[in-house]
Formats: sequence, structure tokens, C-alpha cells
Amino acid sequence: MMRYLLLSSCLAILLGCASAYKHLQPATGDVRNLQQFKPEFSVALYKAGVDVAGNHLGGLLLIKKMPDSSTRLVFSNEIGFKFFDFEFAKDGKFKVFSIMKQMDKKAVIKTLRKDFELVMMEGINDPGVLIRKDSGLVYYSYKQSKGYYHYITNKAGGELIRMERASKRKPVMEAIMRNYKNGIPDTIGITHKNFNFTIGLKHIKR
Amino acid sequence: MRKIFFISFLLLATNALLAQYSGYTQLTDLAKFKTEFSAATQKTLTVKSNFVQEKNLSMLSEKIVSKGKFWFKKDNLVRMEYIQPFDYLMIINKDKVFVKDGQKENKISARSNKLFQQVNKIMIDCMQGSSLNNPDFKTRVFENKTTFLVELVPVVKGLKDLFKNINVVVDKRDYSANSIEMQEVSGDNTIIRFVDKELNTSLNDALFTIK
Repeated sequence: MMRYLLLSSCLAILLGCASAYKHLQPATGDVRNLQQFKPEFSVALYKAGVDVAGNHLGGLLLIKKMPDSSTRLVFSNEIGFKFFDFEFAKDGKFKVFSIMKQMDKKAVIKTLRKDFELVMMEGINDPGVLIRKDSGLVYYSYKQSKGYYHYITNKAGGELIRMERASKRKPVMEAIMRNYKNGIPDTIGITHKNFNFTIGLKHIKR
Repeated sequence: MRKIFFISFLLLATNALLAQYSGYTQLTDLAKFKTEFSAATQKTLTVKSNFVQEKNLSMLSEKIVSKGKFWFKKDNLVRMEYIQPFDYLMIINKDKVFVKDGQKENKISARSNKLFQQVNKIMIDCMQGSSLNNPDFKTRVFENKTTFLVELVPVVKGLKDLFKNINVVVDKRDYSANSIEMQEVSGDNTIIRFVDKELNTSLNDALFTIK
């Protein structure tokens, strides 16, 4: 009995640690397939809904490509109060122009930075890309200082199924971009796996 | 030495000029204005208006314009309905705030959030003409031919972090607010302009009901 218990708990632990990416096989693929999904945010306004730990925060997210090729993200509420203003520079550097006191926490800023880094797809031309596949999907994986960014397309490469921020073994966040019009996705969704935090963005025509 | 004097004088002069608003002169008799303002706004029981809101993001050279409808009723009732380019509804009923954002509805007790309470007070004060007595601000008043410009500079901590100043332009004819401009510390600003104002029409209380 004892041995059985031990065995089953070992199995449970092993299963718990099993990698969500272990089944992937090396594949040949073309990174250029990803290029078509990279959003062209020359300037785009989104209606944003953020749900965090049972609280809903609505607002407007403005994304603008600046003349120096950096991208600015400004999140404010409908009445005009600014929650944050971030800059993603071309060289991967990141700057906080402003953030409201209640949000000004290292972990919050880091999470938002990484979430939007994944979505903006600036790093997809990194030559270190690892391309793998399973029966139906192709994974383009990029190693980060901690963990990976995965872009997952269908087999033919014509559809971006989802994006993931992941540890070595499992996704910590999943994101989607749907219904592109003139290079701008109409819908962007971000869902965290480890805690209750989602961001939904819907493009506003001005 | 004389040069230095001259330059400092010039700097002082430009500073003094910058602190003013073009076309406006500062009122010296604030007490008289306060009395007149408060007497006039006593008579304003309701305001119904359309509004155009313009958020200027200075560093991004970008403008977000939205439009909607506005209702105010004495005491402390405000309904703001954004209809373009997005739907958003905010109702202030005394110290409660209701927000409808798409399908999501949110009730916020202004009492639980000090900053929200202060910001609410600004909106209501601007309508009721009590902004001059709000201890959260230092006030200066300017005038031109047709309007007064009430400049509110926050003196308390939370508001000071958010706003450099809030300017309310008031129509001389009926002392109603033409516009509210919130100038942020960052250089960005938000201007809400009231157009097609109707004063003292009868407004149903149901407009301000928080369910």
C-alpha cells in the first residue's frame, strides 16, 4: 500500500512537472510567416477592459509609433485620467513616463511590459528562433532572459492561433490577436494563467 | 552688471506674462465675484447639455476626442453619457458613483476612494459654483469681455500629483460653465466643452438613479 502511495505521488509530481512543450518536434518553418501578424500600430485607439482579482477597470489604450520608431502606450480612463504612459524603444529598452500611484509596483510594471512586448512582436526577427511543431501547430519560440515567448500558428502558417509567455515548462500567459484590418488587430486578448488577470482590447474607429 | 539686471528683469516680466491668460485680466475683488457667482448659481437648478471632450497627449502629438450628453441637477447629481466614439455612462448621485462600461456595471462608493471623491467634487463644484470655496484649491479669477476664467490650483497632496491646475471658463451672462480644462503635471490636458446648454429645464430624477 505504502509503495503504491509513494509511486502514485511520484507520478503525480512527475505529471505536474510535465512540460507543455515536450511533445514538440523540431521543424523547418519560415519566420516570415509571423511577419504578417505583427501589428502595424501607426496609431490605434482601443477600448480596454482590465479585470484583476475581481475588479474591473475600463479605459482607453492609445498605441502610437513615434518618429524615432519607439512605441508609446497610454492607458487612461474615459474621463481622461491617465493610468500609465509607457515607452517601448526600438532597441528593446523600456521607459515609464508616468504611472498612477496605485499601480506603481515593480511586479505590475514588469508584467505589463512583458505582456505588451509579446503582443507587439518586435523580437520576431531574432535569429535565435526555435521552430517546432506538433500534429497541428507550428511553434516559433524565442528565449528571453527568463522563460520564452511562443508564437503559435496553424500548420499552413496563415493563422496566428495564439501567443504565449512561458516558463521552461508551461505557459504563464496566453494572448490572441484577431480580425486584422489594415495591419491592426480588431481584438486583442490577454489572459494570465497563474492569477486572475485579463486584458481585453477592442479597436475603436475614430 | 546692468546686463544681468536687465536679463533678470526680462525673465521676471516673461514669467509674469506666462502666468496670465491671453485676453484675460485678473480680478482684484475676489470677494465681490464670489458673492455674484454664488448668487447666480443658486438660481441654476438644472443643466442639460451636450459635451465635447478633448484629451491632448502633448508628447505624442495626439488628440482623443469624444462626445456625449451631460445632465446636472441640484444637489450633487450628475449624469455623463459618452456616445462617441465609445459608449460609457457615469452617474454621480451624492457620494455614490455608478459606471457602465459596455456590459460591465460598477458601483463605486466615492467615500472609499479619496481621490475619486475630490475629482467628483470638482465636477459638482463647477456646476454649483462652489468651486471657489473648495479648500483643496488656491483660486484666482480672470475676466475678458464675455467670460470669467476661474483658475484652481490644487494645494492638497493627491490632487497636486495629478493636476497642475483646473480652469473653468464661466459665461458672464448666466455664470454657467462653458468649459472645464484639467491641466496635468505631465503637460497633457483634458478639456470638456459644454455646447447647446439648457438651464433650468425640468429633469427627471430617474436620470440619476443608481440601480
